[in-house]
Amino acid sequence: MKILVCIKQVPDMASRFKVNGNGVWYDEVDLAFRMNEYDEFAVEQAVQVKEQSGSEPDITVLSIGPDRVIEPIKKALAMGCDRGVHLRDEASYKKDPWQIAFTIAGFCRDKKFDLIFTGMQSQDRGSAQVGVILAELLGIACVTTVVGFAIDNRAITAKRELEGGIKSVVKFSLPALITCQLGLNTPRYPTLPNIMKAKKKELLVFPVADFLQEKEMTGTGSAYTPARKGSGIILEGDVNEMAGRLLGILKDKTAVIK
Amino acid sequence: MEVTREIYWNIGRGVALPMYGIFALAAFVFLYGFYRRFAVYRQGKALNRFDSLGTRISFLLKNVFAQMRVLRQPGPGFSHAFFFWSFGILFIGTLLVMAQVDFTQPVLGLAFLKGTFYKMFSLALDVAGFISLLALGVLLVRRFILKPEGLETVGDDYVIHALLFAILVTGFIAEGVRMAATELRTDPALALFSPVGMLIGKLFITMTSENLSSVHKMLWWAHFLMAMSFIAIIPFTKLRHIFITSANYLFVDLAPKGSLATINLEDEGITQFGAAKIADLTWKDIFDADACTSCKRCQDRCPAYATGKPLSPMKIVKQIGDTAFLNPGADLPEAIGADALWACTTCRACQETCPAAVEHVNKIIEMRRNLTLMEGLFPGDEARTAANNIEVNGNPFGFAFAERGKWAVGLDVKIMQQDSDVDVLYFVGCYASFDKRNRDIARSFVKICNAANIRVGILGKEEKCCGEPVRKMGNEYLYQTMAVANIEVIKGYGVKKIVTTCPHCFNTLGRDYRDLGLELTVEHTSTFVAGLISANRLRLKPEPFEFTYHDSCYLGRYRDIISEPRAVLKAAGGQIMEMEQSGYGSFCCGAGGGRILAEEKTGTRINMARVKMAAATHAPLLVSNCPFCLTMIEDGIKTSDLEGKLKALDLTEIVAARIGG
Repeated sequence: MKILVCIKQVPDMASRFKVNGNGVWYDEVDLAFRMNEYDEFAVEQAVQVKEQSGSEPDITVLSIGPDRVIEPIKKALAMGCDRGVHLRDEASYKKDPWQIAFTIAGFCRDKKFDLIFTGMQSQDRGSAQVGVILAELLGIACVTTVVGFAIDNRAITAKRELEGGIKSVVKFSLPALITCQLGLNTPRYPTLPNIMKAKKKELLVFPVADFLQEKEMTGTGSAYTPARKGSGIILEGDVNEMAGRLLGILKDKTAVIK
Repeated sequence: MEVTREIYWNIGRGVALPMYGIFALAAFVFLYGFYRRFAVYRQGKALNRFDSLGTRISFLLKNVFAQMRVLRQPGPGFSHAFFFWSFGILFIGTLLVMAQVDFTQPVLGLAFLKGTFYKMFSLALDVAGFISLLALGVLLVRRFILKPEGLETVGDDYVIHALLFAILVTGFIAEGVRMAATELRTDPALALFSPVGMLIGKLFITMTSENLSSVHKMLWWAHFLMAMSFIAIIPFTKLRHIFITSANYLFVDLAPKGSLATINLEDEGITQFGAAKIADLTWKDIFDADACTSCKRCQDRCPAYATGKPLSPMKIVKQIGDTAFLNPGADLPEAIGADALWACTTCRACQETCPAAVEHVNKIIEMRRNLTLMEGLFPGDEARTAANNIEVNGNPFGFAFAERGKWAVGLDVKIMQQDSDVDVLYFVGCYASFDKRNRDIARSFVKICNAANIRVGILGKEEKCCGEPVRKMGNEYLYQTMAVANIEVIKGYGVKKIVTTCPHCFNTLGRDYRDLGLELTVEHTSTFVAGLISANRLRLKPEPFEFTYHDSCYLGRYRDIISEPRAVLKAAGGQIMEMEQSGYGSFCCGAGGGRILAEEKTGTRINMARVKMAAATHAPLLVSNCPFCLTMIEDGIKTSDLEGKLKALDLTEIVAARIGG
């Protein structure tokens, strides 16, 4: 079985974001980067499938971006993926989901992956489209927002999370693409021997142009931080006094208390 | 003729052959018993504990013959020491008899057990025997009647107590019977130099000579055979501590307290990190288990044990011994239990108090290393999240690394990236950088530096967690990642001196980073401020206040900084009201050993136990000088409903508020 995991490196969400010079994305100064959280679930699930199938499956982990994306690729290799693929692109942030999906599909074309895991969405752009478009381009089944996963031979039972917390169970067979949601698993912490082994695993690097011929279908007009529309009020001091002030605010500014 | 007594009276010189024969047998069993144990010690990895022999021997002499560490706990310590000394005198007495009868007399024709020396010899042995019995009695009452909580009594204890008691009693009665037949009849004045024997002898004075003779023979042989059994069973019972614990003093760890082996992460030949099996520990770790006498002093001082966690440092040491001897292939963390290993705060109270110089803490950390580095485990998900945060943002909270220096905005402190011409680099640490309450410590420190005209700089966003909590959790890889990054930045600025307000950063930068190439003077605020005051660079306007002081483990026990902070607080006008557990005996706040990153899920809370002790002094103020301690203490005050009764402040805050004069 051949498995592909698509991962993205994103800034840590605790960072303070500033719009960059050309006004269409964030400035990378002072940002700490890490693996997209949902992609960690994807890596973990792929490694679990490999472990459950007696190590037979072969896992490729792929990421698009500048050289810094080698870091999350290394982490995925330390978690248990077998091979890394870095599609180098200094301006990957300018690519829209269609181009990203098309690039990955270009890479996949002759590889015949049986199972592809992606995150449900990226934490920075949040389009949630790459996985879906990729499945469409490859002509394989796609199941999104997966929170439960079981594989028996080539038959998969997946639990999906729907609006309002409703769950649904989907049964399908390989080949397929799964987008992973929070709750699917707890990503493992790489062990030191695996971190050391990861340094010796194969890492293939291709320029993104090798696989991308498409123009973007959507473009970013401008990026900006939301205008400040009033702020929260933090009450401090004596409890009784705070309760009184809260009551006053509720009366004056809301319709909760008449 | 000078006074003496007939050696081997009633037994005869002919006893020499069977006597030495039996002794040889006992000695053989003794040696064989230890020989078999050496094979078990050798399962451990090599470790050189034969360097600096002078220091080692002096430590051994102080602790064996002066019983220094044993005497630290007065009650049972005194009893043990007196038993040891008096039994030692009895042993020497026996050797003197042997020396005269079988060496000096036959070879040199010299008999020294006569006259005044004989009288002193006789009196000393009688008194020593009496003290031995008394001390043994006290220990016996303690162990079998009072039964202190946590003291485990096993088969060995019954055998040892019974045997020692019987040896002493048969010795005295044999003496009394001999005296009833001899001295008491012929030289009553001499009998006064054997007071106990004399009193016992008087009980037998009416017996016929034949009866005295046969009773004496019986007692003599019983005494002799029991004494030989005593020698023979030493390696097979707790009695082995006489030799193993003594040797353990020789093998004492002379490295700075708290030193941990820095793993060479470049060495690709290492396949096992930390201790999963006995063979992953050192021979000394196994030897420690044999040196342990189960006195439970460590357990009595363990904050985790005291608050109902599944950890007893004594039991961990015992479990390592049991595994080494009975099941050497077993998985150690599994045999001990991961929960017990995670519960340790590395406060070092166990090691500080151990009369046998056992090293508990590093064993625990070695096993934690196996859990984290080999199995990717954490004490809980929150600790995993904290480790991930440290990896990404260099702090356990997950705050953006770029915000690290934000607390200093508007203060007279340089950011090294902009201006590195400073007198001291202040390594702020995660808590004083990000935690709202602890930022007051950082601000106070800058205020103190400003007042003393010290040009101070910080690394700001270039500073990362020192790595201490994750290192103590066992994650050497993440620790070294942080350490290497910090060292590179610090070295780049040509810093002369570093000051920290956190004892954990202090120990890590000043001691642990040396293994990774940072060799700088690193000082903690306690001594730094004390130095500024004594050099008259910092003048305080003392205001009277009453307080109790919490010794941070990593300042007190680890670095012997106990009097300096107290002196600073006194200079600030403070009147100290000491807690019972203070100084070297301080009770941990619960945050050490990486526990600051983990939730306390079992038992009661350590910080609540500590603030209760502080409240018992009736001092209105609890002063600490560690951000971890302050965090735990303030939390403990809230959860213990002591708000309004007890306030917590850091030493830097007290000093900063009294600048002037």
